[in-house]
Amino acid sequence: MTANTAARDIEAPGVRIRDLTVVYKTPAGELPAVRGVDLALAPGTITGVVGESGSGKSTLALSLLNAVQPPGRIAAGSVEIDGLGDVLTLRGEDLRRARGRQVGYVFQAAQNSLNPLKTIGKQLLDLGRSHEVEDLRGLVREAKDLLARMGMDGARVLDSYQHELSGGMRQRVGIMLALVLNAKVVVLDEPTTALDMITQATILRIIREVHEERALTTLVITHDVGAVAEVADSLAVMYGGRVVEHGPVTEVLGEARHPYTQGLIRAIPRLTGDLSLARALPGRPPTLGTLPAQGCVFRERCERRMEVCETDEPVAVNRDGRTVACHAADRHLTLIKRKEFV
Amino acid sequence: MTHAVPGRPRLGAIARKIGGHLVRGLAMIWVVATISFVIIREIPGNPVLGQYESLIQKGMSPEQAERATAVLYGFLPTGNLWQQYVGYMGSLLHLDLGRSLSTPGVEVTTLIGHAARWTVLPVLAGTLLSFLLGVTMGVYAAIKRSGKLGDMLALSGSLLHGVPVYVIGLLLTAVFATLWPIMPSGGPVDVEFVPGFNAGYIGSLIHHAVLPVVTYTLASYGGWILAMKSNVVAVLGDDFILAAELRGLKRGFVFRYLARNAILPLFTILALSIGMLFGGSIFIEEIFNYPGLGLLLVNSISSRDYALMGGTFLVITVGIVVANIAADLLYTVIDPRVRSGGAA
Repeated sequence: MTANTAARDIEAPGVRIRDLTVVYKTPAGELPAVRGVDLALAPGTITGVVGESGSGKSTLALSLLNAVQPPGRIAAGSVEIDGLGDVLTLRGEDLRRARGRQVGYVFQAAQNSLNPLKTIGKQLLDLGRSHEVEDLRGLVREAKDLLARMGMDGARVLDSYQHELSGGMRQRVGIMLALVLNAKVVVLDEPTTALDMITQATILRIIREVHEERALTTLVITHDVGAVAEVADSLAVMYGGRVVEHGPVTEVLGEARHPYTQGLIRAIPRLTGDLSLARALPGRPPTLGTLPAQGCVFRERCERRMEVCETDEPVAVNRDGRTVACHAADRHLTLIKRKEFV
Repeated sequence: MTHAVPGRPRLGAIARKIGGHLVRGLAMIWVVATISFVIIREIPGNPVLGQYESLIQKGMSPEQAERATAVLYGFLPTGNLWQQYVGYMGSLLHLDLGRSLSTPGVEVTTLIGHAARWTVLPVLAGTLLSFLLGVTMGVYAAIKRSGKLGDMLALSGSLLHGVPVYVIGLLLTAVFATLWPIMPSGGPVDVEFVPGFNAGYIGSLIHHAVLPVVTYTLASYGGWILAMKSNVVAVLGDDFILAAELRGLKRGFVFRYLARNAILPLFTILALSIGMLFGGSIFIEEIFNYPGLGLLLVNSISSRDYALMGGTFLVITVGIVVANIAADLLYTVIDPRVRSGGAA
């Protein structure tokens, strides 16, 4: 384990997102889906990003590959990846080469990230040729190894079409394609959504194992707090395009400081005990159009709303390794303790 | 469950598939033949019986008239429906479609064979040309859809799609045969050349075919460009295209992923329109005085030449049925999802 950790420290690149703002063009003008996000992914760690639909987490994930799709546009900020520089300044061929080779991206399971008309093996070869891989046999061997690591018959999978594979198998193929070129930064967008519980657990275990083994820096986007608790080292909570809380996963879930995080945790039904203990957050998550122009984005649904929340946007404050953006969090800390997360 | 290598169809399965298609195709042809038999016989004034009676009035003996009518239609004018039907089907099996009334004594199959020469090649050329052009431009229009060029291309498609084929044909003749006479105004070939494989004859053929082929191409180009554009836009929104880009695939690969997936649904339409070409294009053949199948059909209708009419309909049916089968088989080759029985 120590050797492993040491290797990871040397190899795994760090990722620093600074002041990232992504806007989407709408009839009402350009509205920010991600605004002023600062987030550092420590080398060799798994960072989880949770948030409701529309919180900007997928946009954040795409920004790591400078791949925000129109009508979206990265308006400001930088994404520094060790050994690659600022991804947001990459253009054309440089950007294409970085994608897949240095940053791997795994799509959501329910969506189809594979060409339905080609076998997995042929798509693998397309990938290799796109990245000027000399030793295509070696690439196939590597792919088979990876697939075997994930409990699949590599030769059979490579000879299959997408429609011949189950959702869980496709997801593992997606992970294989993201890793086969030896990318050191891996972004997983909703890797377990739309999968059954058993497959979810398998995929999460695979993510954890491959991450350890290959000394990766991993970002996992999800709306499933349970999934994140299982794999992540640190956790960022997004709301309305902001990272409202960020810190080590056990601390963030064990004693949440931001009222939104606290609400999220309260909303998780417990396996034992009264189901009615789980309380849904009141109100609805904001959309691009309903985001308040000033003040705290969460105040409409916040039970600890204060006067200052109406006018001033809370600044993210870093204290003992944790970042919280809330006016109330500093004044009187109400700690929500959940013993299963501690 | 025996699991064959995925994606590779077994020979037995292919044979079964082709066999099934053939049976269904023959059944369809049989149904159409039956319907056309009933219609010709039951049409007001019953042309078969009318022919028989008029021959008797011309002084033929009933036996002679009966035989003469039977030669025309392939079945005896007298006798009950069932006997006539068996007689008609019997001659169909011998590929005997009867004899033409308007061109006395000539077999319907001969007439159709002659006309087909003037239809199949030009229309086939026009179909393929418009398909290639429309599909290419459709991809372009989809990719550049937010720009001026894309708008122009899509607009050209909508416009041409809306203009009737005879307007295009007349316009082209007006411009290229009258105002600026570089093209012949009609006919399939200049009479001064000896038919055969000589440069003059073939050159004249091609020269005469240019305007009809261009007319046909322009007429169906609009449909292709619009269909291809919407397909490409749909596939562009599919996740695997974005996924391919995020994996850093070269543009060429991404483009091929896109094009192959978008063009797939168009192959059915292409196969069907190739089947339809056996019906010829009535307007184009009329405008350019091309003695093709479309003109043959129109003439057979106007001269109440029912044997010829029935024969032409049957040829069109066979063309479409065969094209349908070809489309289905083509699909099994190009779409792996169909190949393995569509199980997802």
